Amino acid sequence: MTQNTVKTFLYLRPCTWDWLLLMALTLMILMVAETGLGGRYIVGLLIVSMLVKTQIVADYFMGLKRVRLRWRLIVSGYLLVVMSMIGLAYKLSLS
Amino acid sequence: MQYQSQAVAKPYFIAALAMFAGQIIFGLIMGLQYVIGDFLFPEIPFNVARMVHTNLLIVWLLFGFMGAAYYLVPEESETELFSPKLAMALFWIFLVAGVLTIVGYLAVPYATLAKITGNDILPTMGREFLEQPTITKIGIVIVALGFLFNILMTVLKGRKTVITSVLLIGLGGLAVFFLFSFYNPDNLVLDKYFWWWTVHLWVEGVWELILGSILAFVLIKVTGVDREVIEKWLYVIIAMTLITGIIGTGHHYFWIGTPEYWQVLGSIFSALEPIPFFMMAVFAFNMVNRRRREHPNKVATLWALGTAVMSFLGAGVWGFMHTLAPVNYYTHGTQLTAAHAHMAFYGAYVMIVLCMISYAMPMMRGRAANSAKAQVVEMWGFWLMTISIVLITLFLTGAGILQVYMQRMGDAPMSFMVVQDKITLFYWLREAAGVVFLIGLITYFASFFVGGDEAASA
Amino acid sequence: MNDAAIDDVSLKEKYPPGDLAIWVFIYAEFLAFGIFFLAYAFARSYNVELFNASQLHLDKRAGALNTLILITGSYFVVRAVAAIRVNQSRACVNWLLAAIFSGGLFLIVKIFEFHGEYVQGYSLSSNLFYTFYFSMTVFHFMHVILGMVILTAVMFKARRGGYSAEDHRGVETGASYWHMVDMVWIILFPLVYVIH
Repeated sequence: MTQNTVKTFLYLRPCTWDWLLLMALTLMILMVAETGLGGRYIVGLLIVSMLVKTQIVADYFMGLKRVRLRWRLIVSGYLLVVMSMIGLAYKLSLS
Repeated sequence: MQYQSQAVAKPYFIAALAMFAGQIIFGLIMGLQYVIGDFLFPEIPFNVARMVHTNLLIVWLLFGFMGAAYYLVPEESETELFSPKLAMALFWIFLVAGVLTIVGYLAVPYATLAKITGNDILPTMGREFLEQPTITKIGIVIVALGFLFNILMTVLKGRKTVITSVLLIGLGGLAVFFLFSFYNPDNLVLDKYFWWWTVHLWVEGVWELILGSILAFVLIKVTGVDREVIEKWLYVIIAMTLITGIIGTGHHYFWIGTPEYWQVLGSIFSALEPIPFFMMAVFAFNMVNRRRREHPNKVATLWALGTAVMSFLGAGVWGFMHTLAPVNYYTHGTQLTAAHAHMAFYGAYVMIVLCMISYAMPMMRGRAANSAKAQVVEMWGFWLMTISIVLITLFLTGAGILQVYMQRMGDAPMSFMVVQDKITLFYWLREAAGVVFLIGLITYFASFFVGGDEAASA
Repeated sequence: MNDAAIDDVSLKEKYPPGDLAIWVFIYAEFLAFGIFFLAYAFARSYNVELFNASQLHLDKRAGALNTLILITGSYFVVRAVAAIRVNQSRACVNWLLAAIFSGGLFLIVKIFEFHGEYVQGYSLSSNLFYTFYFSMTVFHFMHVILGMVILTAVMFKARRGGYSAEDHRGVETGASYWHMVDMVWIILFPLVYVIH
């Protein structure tokens, strides 16, 4: 790779980086699925990855990062509540 | 009033209010029969009183909706009604059929009525809320089709708005789902299954569209907020209504012999049914707060806000209370259902019709609004009836909770009649609240005859 | 814009992008799906073995593929909004078409998946897991269709030159709804297909 292509690659639009990150996280989830792993840590990891992915979509795709906090908080708060409740439900079933 | 033909709404409203009064009187009779079992027996047995009470409600609300549509559509479409003559003819047909049916309920035993009206040819009678003789049902269909034709032609020749479209979808759905009342399979499960297609999809589906469009119309008129803004809200509300309400039918399919998955679908979707009502409440207050004019008809605004709040409480909160399958397992068919039904019907449908009447009646009587004095009297009626319905709901809820607790829980549940005896106090309190409702209704009627200085025309 | 500027409250937009009415709708949709997710998770905690056994029959790759498709569709929509912000109507239309196309692709993959399950004899009434699986995915399926309808309406208006750098609220409205549909699937896929 020449100096120039590296530079253009690094200067991808921020949203393209977000997209690549989301794709990578999805593939990671697929890998976990293929291995059939389960258990406390894997569940935790998956829930965190869902949280990260949805927050990226909310902040940068929906553009809530540029909006007054309250609108973003509704979505983030919702995600946090739903994810932690899901976590709780799984914790109940694991113990 | 901008168009002469809007005046056909007036007889519809008057008939609706007269039947409303009848409904309340039979409600009071029944309320008393709860505690004094042989009151008026054998002249008016409980089952007949109940039939009259619920059927009058349905018929007068239909009169109210039709009147509202006849008033609203010409104004929205900016044209005269397609045929005022047809509207008047249908009015008399509907009124005569309605009155004859009620007289039939009261004058002869139900089985005789079925025989006289030829129920054997096409049996549709004998099912809760759809007790009307088959010929009355056919009459309702004819009236509904004529009415829809009239409204549709008016809309087609004039301006098309979101409000009239939503109203038409609602009224069209009302007619279509009523057709399921003619379907009466021998299999009891199927019978109940499709029975709900009329009953549920009316009150938790298409009627909500009618409610939304009438509310939107009145809010545009009294607040002067841009049509665009109001229409957007209407879209969102009806979308949510349909998303939740259609599959929400499943909350009636928990224990009637339908597949088990209805317990999941019914619980989840009907748990969401309060959302559109919540939106409607937010919407109404938002629009009134952002109002760009002070309409002289204050009491119409009060009804609009009232219906938004009370429908959310009655249909939304009180419905949610017993809609989840694990809860409904205990509460099914108890006084909790009655509590929910009273507040939901009053909040959502009675109040929206009264709201429209409150807005339209003064216009049809040649003024923008009634005198301040008349409006104050009407507001008294509003508060008396509303507080009374809140009390009725609370007393019935109390009765229902006790009923569930004593009759269906614990190690030694008691029998139905023993429990009914123990909750008599709540029924007495409910009856007292019902008397307050009647006083409120009389006050409301009185407001039509209060004179005073006419408000300046808007 | 650097991060310091982004976090400055005075520079923040007062309302989220698009029409406020769509945001009320989006929040309501989140609530609807949220209840579904939690009902699923807690119903599972009472029937762990049944859920784990049934989950194995789902096509995880199809689910993951659909996640990739929806994320990419969302990305296209982001580009459509970016295009109209610099007044490139034409580019906006093309990006929207790409997004609608990815929505269609999602539907096709999902239909194949449903077909496979149908052939194997699974249905809404197979067991509690399948009741949840089918009702959630079908409910989401309908939302993808609704999102596509909205995007199509926006696309046609954009093609008529109905939007500009100054006025493109409609594009943002459609975009916000589409992202919501995407976000729901981002949660739904791991929850129903993977986590056990």
